[in-house]
Amino acid sequence: MGEEIKGDFEPKIVGFTCNWCTYAAADLAGTSRKKYPPNSRIIRLMCSARLDPMFVLKALLNGADGVFFSGCHPGECHYIKGNFYARRRIAALRTILQQFGLDDRFKSYWISASEGEKFANTMKTQSEEVKKLGPSPFRGKIL
Amino acid sequence: MKGAELNSEDLEGALKGLLGKGVVDCLVMPHRAGKNVSYMLVKDADKIESPASAIFAPSFSVNAANLIKGWTIKEKVGILAKPCEIRAAIELIKLKQMEKESVLLITVDCAGAYTNQVYAEHYADIGDEVDSAKIKELEGKGITIRESCAICENKLAAVGDIIIAKGAGGNVVVAGLTDMGVDALSALELSLEDKDLERAAEKEKIAAEAKAKLDALPQMGSVEALEEFLQDCIVCKNCRDMCPVCYCKECFFELPLGKPTGGDLLNLAELRGAIGLPPGQLFYHMTRVYHVSTTCVGCGACEDACPKDIPLTRFYPVITKKVQDIFEYVPGKDVEEPLPFTAYEEEELEDKLR
Repeated sequence: MGEEIKGDFEPKIVGFTCNWCTYAAADLAGTSRKKYPPNSRIIRLMCSARLDPMFVLKALLNGADGVFFSGCHPGECHYIKGNFYARRRIAALRTILQQFGLDDRFKSYWISASEGEKFANTMKTQSEEVKKLGPSPFRGKIL
Repeated sequence: MKGAELNSEDLEGALKGLLGKGVVDCLVMPHRAGKNVSYMLVKDADKIESPASAIFAPSFSVNAANLIKGWTIKEKVGILAKPCEIRAAIELIKLKQMEKESVLLITVDCAGAYTNQVYAEHYADIGDEVDSAKIKELEGKGITIRESCAICENKLAAVGDIIIAKGAGGNVVVAGLTDMGVDALSALELSLEDKDLERAAEKEKIAAEAKAKLDALPQMGSVEALEEFLQDCIVCKNCRDMCPVCYCKECFFELPLGKPTGGDLLNLAELRGAIGLPPGQLFYHMTRVYHVSTTCVGCGACEDACPKDIPLTRFYPVITKKVQDIFEYVPGKDVEEPLPFTAYEEEELEDKLR
């Protein structure tokens, strides 16, 4: 696996989005026919607070080239305060990933349901950034 | 704070009094076992013999908080231990693993400890207690304290209900920090007076030395370095079992998803071509370091427990300290302070997210 991907590298990105904001934004981007690269695979969660940082770790260790997380803007959570808790967890996880130079592969955004355009643009820049980083250090490794 | 200065005989009397006068129903404290010390659970006050030779002994075997984790009994348990152990106990109270009202936490001053193997081997040189000068002298002879103790900033007794601090001329200062602690000391009929332990300068010196040691530790910095660091790990999970703040009754890594076997492993191997055995070294440690990220007290019990001698102090306390810094949280400092993951501010951390 590790050798084949050198030429034209198409990253695999795992995304976790909340049901009420970013998933709706992705939907809006689709219905309004915004174009964005097909690299991300989105997993819908009911709330950003459902994101167990283990999901991110597992995705990275299983060879995802990038992982992103996106939820409602702080203060606009459908469940009032879910994303406040999520923000603390993500800050902690990011601090840990920084120690191993993995933090560039993990992005987090706040994208609300009306920001379809922002979603498409974010996916575009993210895809380019991860392409620049190259394949995940865990790809093809025996772990 | 209210306290009293005691000599070693009075200290023995005071500890016996805790049991004899019914302040606590039982006491978990170190006792001397030959050249070493280990913990005991005492009910009978007469079993406490010359405690001064054991409670300050610079030997670390197991974190005392781990011994009483999850006890749900009506009796009141007194715990006499080093600052890291009491801080772990305070974190466990916050994690609802024990009742605040059912434990009396007694902290002793610590100058740093040796692993219990090193302590027993060099007992003739080390003796019953050490101070920072003695530790430096022994370092010259190649007898070094545990790495987690070298980087510990919280060696002075300053948490819990009661502190036992080293005073002048072999005496100790016993003082109550909380109402429960002061009540306990009053019940012992000690002549309490206002004690002002001026230790800010000492604390600063310890913190500066610890910081210098921490900065001198090798940094990991990359995935490759992490893999090399953990390559000997056999995923025995001793570090989890001995960790005072790893408290889940059912650990994810004992469940089928976290501990795949047989057909599950074959499927994973088919997906990836090959899979390392035992599975999940990196996943286990990365998850665990996140789980203890805000509560790790840096006691180093994980390193002592590792059968493969992986220097886990360079992983757990070092990384969790960085997480604790972003929340400005010191685990075990204050029992009323909420755990970082159970609280939030409306405006915070945005610079830490990208």
